[in-house]
Amino acid sequence: MATEDERYRQSSQYRLWSFTRAGLQDLRAKTNSLAKQQIAPRLTANPPPEFLTAEEEIRLVRFHTIELIQAAQFCELPTEIRSTAAVFFRRFYVTNSVMTYPPTELLKTSLFFGCKAEGYYIRLSRLSEKLSGTTSEQILAGEFLLCQGVRFAFDVRHPLRALDGAILELQQRLPNEQSRINKAHVRAREVLKFSALLTDVYFHYTPSQIMMAALQMVDKTLVDVLVPAPHSGAGDGAAGEMHKKIMEAIDSCRVMLEEEPPERMSSYWETPETIKSMKPLRKKLQRCRDPDRVDLVALQKARREQALNKEKKPAGPAEGELFGEAISREVKRRKVDTADDVFGPPMPL
Amino acid sequence: MSLSPVVTLQQPQTVRSVSSPLKTLASGQTSSNGTPRPAAQPAPKAVGPATLDVAEQMNEEEKRKYVKGKPCRLQPDKTNINFIANFRTPIQARSSVKKIKMQKEYTEGMPPDAVRELKHLQELHHPNIISLQSVFSSKDQNVNLVLEYLPLGDLEMLIRDTTNVHYGAADIKAWMGMLVRAIWFCHENFVLHRDIKPNNLLIAADGEVKLADFGLARGFGDIHSYMTSNVITRWYRPPELLFGAKHYGGAVDIWSVGTVFAELIKRAPFMPGNNELDQIKLICDAIGTPTEDNWPGVTTLPEYTVPTQNPVRGKDFYMYQFGTVGPDGVDLLIRTLALNPKKRITAREMLSHPWWHAEPKPTRKEDLPRKDGGEDKMGADLKRRPGVVEEEKRGAKVARKLDFGGAK
Repeated sequence: MATEDERYRQSSQYRLWSFTRAGLQDLRAKTNSLAKQQIAPRLTANPPPEFLTAEEEIRLVRFHTIELIQAAQFCELPTEIRSTAAVFFRRFYVTNSVMTYPPTELLKTSLFFGCKAEGYYIRLSRLSEKLSGTTSEQILAGEFLLCQGVRFAFDVRHPLRALDGAILELQQRLPNEQSRINKAHVRAREVLKFSALLTDVYFHYTPSQIMMAALQMVDKTLVDVLVPAPHSGAGDGAAGEMHKKIMEAIDSCRVMLEEEPPERMSSYWETPETIKSMKPLRKKLQRCRDPDRVDLVALQKARREQALNKEKKPAGPAEGELFGEAISREVKRRKVDTADDVFGPPMPL
Repeated sequence: MSLSPVVTLQQPQTVRSVSSPLKTLASGQTSSNGTPRPAAQPAPKAVGPATLDVAEQMNEEEKRKYVKGKPCRLQPDKTNINFIANFRTPIQARSSVKKIKMQKEYTEGMPPDAVRELKHLQELHHPNIISLQSVFSSKDQNVNLVLEYLPLGDLEMLIRDTTNVHYGAADIKAWMGMLVRAIWFCHENFVLHRDIKPNNLLIAADGEVKLADFGLARGFGDIHSYMTSNVITRWYRPPELLFGAKHYGGAVDIWSVGTVFAELIKRAPFMPGNNELDQIKLICDAIGTPTEDNWPGVTTLPEYTVPTQNPVRGKDFYMYQFGTVGPDGVDLLIRTLALNPKKRITAREMLSHPWWHAEPKPTRKEDLPRKDGGEDKMGADLKRRPGVVEEEKRGAKVARKLDFGGAK
């Protein structure tokens, strides 16, 4: 059996959803600039509005992740599902812009699909009842987009189980400090349920690193019990190097978690300032979002109809209907495009 | 004016635009008499080099790796159409494509079996588990699973074809070895397959057996969650599920492995029950009646009922029926079919059983019996396979429908 590290490297979380910081930043910048390019010609406002920057998008996604966590708590969904839904939501907005697809809608879809992915089959109608003002149709409209956005990887590895394991281990090693350990357990869990979901730690660190960082945040010396430094003397050998490397990863992960301490969860809602501070951004989003994709239900309907019409077409399954179409259609499109050059824009209806 | 440009696959520009169908048409201005204006000015909107979202681009990249080949129904399952696909690279590798259609009957979005299959196949990479090479969506919002190409049918075909296929103890040992390694890997990764049976054991070109169809799979190990007992095709379903257990572990798959083992030897289903009660009766007759003595706590299971009181069968009985695999093989079989799931052998323990080292040695996979012939032969085989009677029976036996409402 391969080592745990090797097994983790085979997971979709590592293969598809782990990035270097620069890599993630590039991807988000690319998503942002592509969205601008695509939306610009569809907006009628004159002069064209200012678009969101990639950083502003991150802030909006963060804000809506909190809303998602709130909604999940309201629906009494278990922690694992809440976390999976939040991770889906954040992964989706790495390669999709909030200007393209409305986060308020995708949030609900993420909750629903998070349940499904965790094997918890809540009825669509029950969920839509809970989320007042939402229809089943609205929740489902974004499902396909979400699946594609998370690259059909439905298994999310959370640090929650790792924490339970570490706590058991600590209880054995420090039998006289039960209350301290229990306190750390509760607080570290709060970190994992909030800070880990709002920051980028899932994109950069493994579940065990995140767990250790959360534990370090609440009771630093417990981590030293779990990851003891090699005995002095051997400190400069390979073991020392390894220990240093591990601690560096945990430290930098902790710093990232500390950007959003769990106390913020309540303050986000109790202090009107935070909501107010989001207002200008939300207004900005209103002005620059893709007018064609605001109504996901209508969009989904149109796409389904398009697909159905396609199926009805003469059933001679042309070679490459599925795979080669990229080529043939592109040729057609290009022909049309070149025709445009000669004859001008298409006739208005 | 140039002709339409040569389209080469490498250019990102060849990515087809998936623009919104609701696209507000750029207002084409007309001259007063309604004739189109000549293109004196540049076109109103510059078509950017890339017109796809990043997510869509990634999808296109996956899609363009494959060229569609001829359709091929690998599994008699009407919702999934399979194609042979060719890898669009210098290495002419082949794959099969399983297309998941959005079902009209299921109104809750993506069907649960598709979610389960994708979820688990994305994570499990093992030589004896069918490998998911890629996933992409097509424009009609169907999801395409690119699976490795397994042209030699499945174990059921070999078991049933008693006139053309002959095999012995060494072959059974080889097939069982591959099955046990697959299931061990699933359990090691906390995944239950929950539908092990001969026609979910597909055979690769080199003879390797691959466990497929993860549509009923789920994770396990969470003591708090309720689990449905209505899984695993009936003939292969263990007594604890027939009695309605709501919490269970890897032992359910091990029972199925045992029944497949027995079927490989007998070349007929070991306990082909007609309904759930009949299934319990067959278990009581063939193995013994589950009681508090041999399985403490069994009578507290929600649907515990037994028709007869039979003592648990001794080794002699098994030797008489399954002696071709030798005393060690029979010992292993008895352990996989232990009534009490807590006493049933685990996948890991199976792997260290003495049978593997006993004579005869397992056949090398290249030398295993197969139903060969070209692809055309395979197509014919596939068409012939679902005999009418068989087809009817199977449909009824598959525990496909889960009670989603019950799961809170």
